[in-house]
Amino acid sequence: MANKNEKVISDLGDALKNGLSDEAKALTEAALEGGMEPLAIIEEILVPTLTEIGRRFQEFEIFLPELMMAGEAAEAITAIVEKATLDAGQPSLSKGTIILGQVEGDMHDIGRNIVGMLLKSHGFTVVDLGRDVRASAFLDAAEKENADIVALSALMTTTLPAQKRTINLFSEVRKREEYFIVVGGGAVSEEWSKEVGSDGYSADAAGAVELCKTLMKK
Amino acid sequence: MRHTTRLLDIIERSLSGPLMEEEDFNDQHVTQGLSRVVKKYDIQINQDQIINQDDALADRVWEAAVDFLAECGVYCQTTNRVIKFSVQEIKDILKYAPDRVRVGAGTDAVEEYARNVEDSRRPLLMGSSIGTPIEDEFFVPSMISYIQEPEVDVTMAPTLTNIYGYDIRTRSPLEILSSWREVELTLESMRRAGRPGMAFTGVGSSISDIGQLSADGPGGLRQTDLHTFGIISELKTNFEILNKLTHILMRDGVVDPYANPIYGGLGGGMDGQAVLITAAMIALNVFFMATCVGTSPTHPFNFNDTGKELLISSGLSFQALARNSHLMTNLTNTPVGGPGTKTLLYECVALTVMMTVSGGSRILGPRSATGSITGHFSGLEARFTGELLSAASKISRSQAEEIVQKAYKKYENDLTQKPYGKHFKDVYDLKTIQPTAEWQGMYDDVKNEVAKWGLSFD
Repeated sequence: MANKNEKVISDLGDALKNGLSDEAKALTEAALEGGMEPLAIIEEILVPTLTEIGRRFQEFEIFLPELMMAGEAAEAITAIVEKATLDAGQPSLSKGTIILGQVEGDMHDIGRNIVGMLLKSHGFTVVDLGRDVRASAFLDAAEKENADIVALSALMTTTLPAQKRTINLFSEVRKREEYFIVVGGGAVSEEWSKEVGSDGYSADAAGAVELCKTLMKK
Repeated sequence: MRHTTRLLDIIERSLSGPLMEEEDFNDQHVTQGLSRVVKKYDIQINQDQIINQDDALADRVWEAAVDFLAECGVYCQTTNRVIKFSVQEIKDILKYAPDRVRVGAGTDAVEEYARNVEDSRRPLLMGSSIGTPIEDEFFVPSMISYIQEPEVDVTMAPTLTNIYGYDIRTRSPLEILSSWREVELTLESMRRAGRPGMAFTGVGSSISDIGQLSADGPGGLRQTDLHTFGIISELKTNFEILNKLTHILMRDGVVDPYANPIYGGLGGGMDGQAVLITAAMIALNVFFMATCVGTSPTHPFNFNDTGKELLISSGLSFQALARNSHLMTNLTNTPVGGPGTKTLLYECVALTVMMTVSGGSRILGPRSATGSITGHFSGLEARFTGELLSAASKISRSQAEEIVQKAYKKYENDLTQKPYGKHFKDVYDLKTIQPTAEWQGMYDDVKNEVAKWGLSFD
C-alpha cells in the first residue's frame, strides 16, 4: 500500500509539474478510489509540488506558460478533491475566496494572471474579474461570492487612484470591515498601500500568496 | 503625413480579421508562435555575455520576429479579432518607414535618426522621469532639473498625484483636466528653463483616450511634439488605442508609441523575449504607423529593465532592428535605484552603454526607482545618461561588454533590495534647482570610476 501511494504521489506530482491536466484528473480519481484521503492529496502532493513550481518560476527556471499549465492541472485536481470532500460531508478544503481584478482604467493582464495562478495553486478559490474593473463590480462580486479577500491590482501609476476609490466605496456602503482588501501591481508601494488603508501589500506574486495566507489566519 | 488609406486598412482589418478568444491568442499565437520560431531560427543566447557580439544571431532574431509577427498578428480586444499582415506586407511597409524626424521648434528643435550597431553618432536623450508620480508643488522644479541640462534633447512629464486636490479618475472630466494640467505645467517648465521649443512626449496622464483627444490639440500638445500611446502586452490593442492613433494622425503629429513585453511571461526566457521585443517594435510601425518605436521591457518581480536577462534580450533585439531595418528605436531606462544611490548610476551605465552600441536612436529616462515611488527622480541622473550616450558612441561592442559587466557587478545584488533612494526635494536645492552636495558627490565618484573603465567623457 505504501509503495502504491508513493507511486501515486510521484505520478501525480509529475503530471502537475508538466501541466498535464487530463492525466492529473485521472490520477487524482484513481488515488481517491484507492483510498487516499482528499486532504493528503492536497498536503502531500499539491502544496509541495506547487511550492516548488512557484520557486522555479521565481528563479526563471520555468516561465508563465509552464506556470499556467501547472496551475490549470492544479485546478483540475482541486475540483475533484473538493467535490469528494463535500460529498463525504466534510468542510471545504478551500483556503478562502479571493476576488481579484485590475482596477478601473488598467488594461493589463499578465501580472494579475501570475498572481491568480499562484493563489489558486495554493488552495484559494479565485474569482478573476479581469481588467478595467469598476469599483462597484468588485463590491458586487465580493457580496455574491461571499469573499474573504478583495485583491486590487494596478500596473500603471495613473490608475492608482482607482484602488483608493474602490476601497473608499467599500467604506462608504459600510462593507469595509466584511472583507480584507489588499493591493498590488507594479505601480504600488508599501507607502501607497498604507495611504489608501489597505489590509496589506505585496511586492510580488509569491509574497501575495503569503499575505493572503496570513490574512486568512486572522 | 496623415496616411488615411493605411489607417483605414488597419481599422478594416480590426473589424474583419479572424475571430478568436483572447486566451487562445495568448497560447496558440503568442506562446506557441514564439516557441516555433525560436527553434526554427536556432535562437540560442550566450548567457555569460551581456552585449551580443554575434551578427548572425541578431539577423536570425530579425527573421524570427518577422515570421512570428506575420503568423501571430495583433489582437483587438474590442472586436475579438486578429489584425494580420503577411510577411511580404510587413517588409513592404517597413521599406517606407521613416528613418529620421525633426521634433521641437526653433533653436530647441532636434533631429532623431535611425542608427546602426556601433554607430558613432550620439543617440537622443529624452531626459525625464517618464510618468513617475509627483506632487503638484514639485512638478515644475523637478521638470526644470531635466530641461536645464544641455545633454537633454527632448522631455516628458511626470504624472500628477491629483488634480486640484481631486483624485484623477479615468474616463471622467478629471482625466481631461489632468491631461491639460500636465501639458500646461510642462510648457511652463520649458519656458522657465529657457527651452520653450523643446519637444515633449504626451499625454502621459491620458489613461483612456479622452485625455489625449482633448489635450492633444490647439493650446495643448503641439504638432512639433511627440505623441504617445502604449499597446497592451503582448501584442494587443483596443479601440481606445486606435482612437488615440487616429487623433494623432489627424493632428499630423509624430507617432511615438511603445510596447513593453514582460520577461518570463508569454515570451518565456531570453530567446523568446528577444524575438518578442523585436516583433513588438516592428508591429508598432506596421500596425500602429509609428514614426519612432519604443519599448521598456519589464521584469515581473522587480519592475525594472536593468537586470541581466533584460539587458541581454533588449540589446540583441536592438541589434536585430538596427541591422535589418531603418526604424528609429528607443528604450526606456527603468532602474530599481533611486536618487541618492550609486545603484541608480551604475544601472544607468549598464543600460545606456548597452543601448548605444546596439543601435538605439533614443533613450528615455531614467525612470528612477522603477517609476513607482512618488518624487523619486531628478535631473542629475539624466545629465549622467547624456554624458554616457556621448562616451558610449565612441566604443565597440567588445569594449562595451567589459564596461557593462563591471557596472552590472556593482548593482546586481541590489536589485531585489530595491534601494529607491530619496525624493527630489531631498536631493536638490529647490531654490537653485541644483543637486545637493551629497548627490553631486556620488555622481562625481561614479563618473570618475567609470572613466577609469574606459569611457571618455571629454
